[in-house]
Amino acid sequence: MDLEIKGLSKTYPGASVRALNDVSIRVPAGEFLVILGPSGAGKSTLLRCINRLVEPSEGKVFHNGAEITSANGDLRAIRRSFGMVFQQFNLVKRLSVLTNVLSGRLGHRSVLRSLAYSFPEADKRIAVECLARVNMDHKAFQRADTLSGGEQQRVAIARALAQQPQVILADEPVASLDPKIARQVLGYLRQAAQELGITVLCNLHQVDYAREFAERVVGMSRGAVVFEGPSSLLTDEVLHRIYYREPGEEAKEEQ
Amino acid sequence: MSAPTFDAVVAATLAQESQRRMRRSTHALIWGVAVVAVLWFTAAQIGLNPLALAKGLPFMADFFSRMFPPDLAHLGLLGDVTVETIQIAVWGTLIAIVLSIPLALLGAKNTTPHPIVFHATRMLLNALRAINELVFALIFVAAVGLGPFAGVLAIALHATGMLAKFCAEELEGVDRGPVEAVQATGAGRMQVILFGMIPQVIPAFISYSIYRFDVSIRAATILGLVGAGGLGFSLIKTMKLFKYHETATCILVIFVLVFVSDWACSRIRAKIL
Repeated sequence: MDLEIKGLSKTYPGASVRALNDVSIRVPAGEFLVILGPSGAGKSTLLRCINRLVEPSEGKVFHNGAEITSANGDLRAIRRSFGMVFQQFNLVKRLSVLTNVLSGRLGHRSVLRSLAYSFPEADKRIAVECLARVNMDHKAFQRADTLSGGEQQRVAIARALAQQPQVILADEPVASLDPKIARQVLGYLRQAAQELGITVLCNLHQVDYAREFAERVVGMSRGAVVFEGPSSLLTDEVLHRIYYREPGEEAKEEQ
Repeated sequence: MSAPTFDAVVAATLAQESQRRMRRSTHALIWGVAVVAVLWFTAAQIGLNPLALAKGLPFMADFFSRMFPPDLAHLGLLGDVTVETIQIAVWGTLIAIVLSIPLALLGAKNTTPHPIVFHATRMLLNALRAINELVFALIFVAAVGLGPFAGVLAIALHATGMLAKFCAEELEGVDRGPVEAVQATGAGRMQVILFGMIPQVIPAFISYSIYRFDVSIRAATILGLVGAGGLGFSLIKTMKLFKYHETATCILVIFVLVFVSDWACSRIRAKIL
């Protein structure tokens, strides 16, 4: 029951640099793994190659021993077992909090039923339970755009949980939140994942949070893995390796 | 009292959900019945009757059979009026674009110099939109005489009402962030509008203008009915002389014109937006 990434590479069409360069990581089931690195290190591409929002150029991903990168698998079934949490929350603002969380059940349901925006009672129970886990059940019937940023991200976590996934891919989930709220949100994510035995791959660029929440850290720089180990080994030398850039490199990337 | 357990919280929220759903279904039912009743009543009032349509089908068939086949020899005579139709649409839309820019600025809440100006402008725009092109055309034919110029003025006024209103609403919906940033530089009111607001609404304004040109073409094809130039005059003339084969040719040309303008407009829109 684990996730194994083998030799994953990605070159976007028209780009000269590889966004991902031969990345191999093994994530045991239930682990809270933080992927640490500066913007543009390839963290988002890595997560999106796993649930195939982005198709990798080379390499393979195995989940529970089964290959999920080739086209032979059922994409809906693959995506269903990977919940995703985004930096900008990506809630559907005009829908209620509860309906947003219920949309986490869509991967399990037929289009026909969804046409009427109706969900079975069992799904409603799951959704409300997930909302209660992140302590947002009291706002279930409000419109999503009436919530603060931190609250929206908690709802987004509930939506990912409602999917009953085996893995949650969190792409910079707290990058647009203040430090106090950020810790609270990461706390909810870690607690829920622990209680439900869900593996978490969480992209972060702040070292503090990585130290605080990660069971293990993978450091990325320029599309490649440059560190792998417990957060206690995040020394200045390691951080330098992750965050250092040649003078002028920044300007080159922006061109 | 101790804090409610997880299960109790879930049960309470679920109960609330079903209660809300019940209430919503009841509301939907009441409103549904009311709306259907009103629609049924109005349908009876305006004589909405599928049977009458079915009975009328033979007459329509007769009408169409008299039009068929279109008299293609008439095509040569329509060249000039077709060009005239396009010219009316181009000039009408162009004048509308020019007039609608200042009117939009006066008629948007966040750019208007004064609330009184805002309300007056909106009232004017409503009036322009309320009066149909054909009605305007009748007025202008009386004022400037028969011919395409009356058609140009008719389209220009009606289109100004629409373009200015849409553009004003677009201005009211601009993103506040960039506006604040320009304000923070110490820019004056007009400068804020020029640098913070107008660039935000230009794509929508172009899109509306192209759409409006498309509408103008269609309007210009019928303005001739009241003597304001274009294809419509040929249409009504051939009909009144019972030359239905020639009427069919006119309709054919209108079809082609509308199709071509729709195609051209979508090409232009794809290119510049």
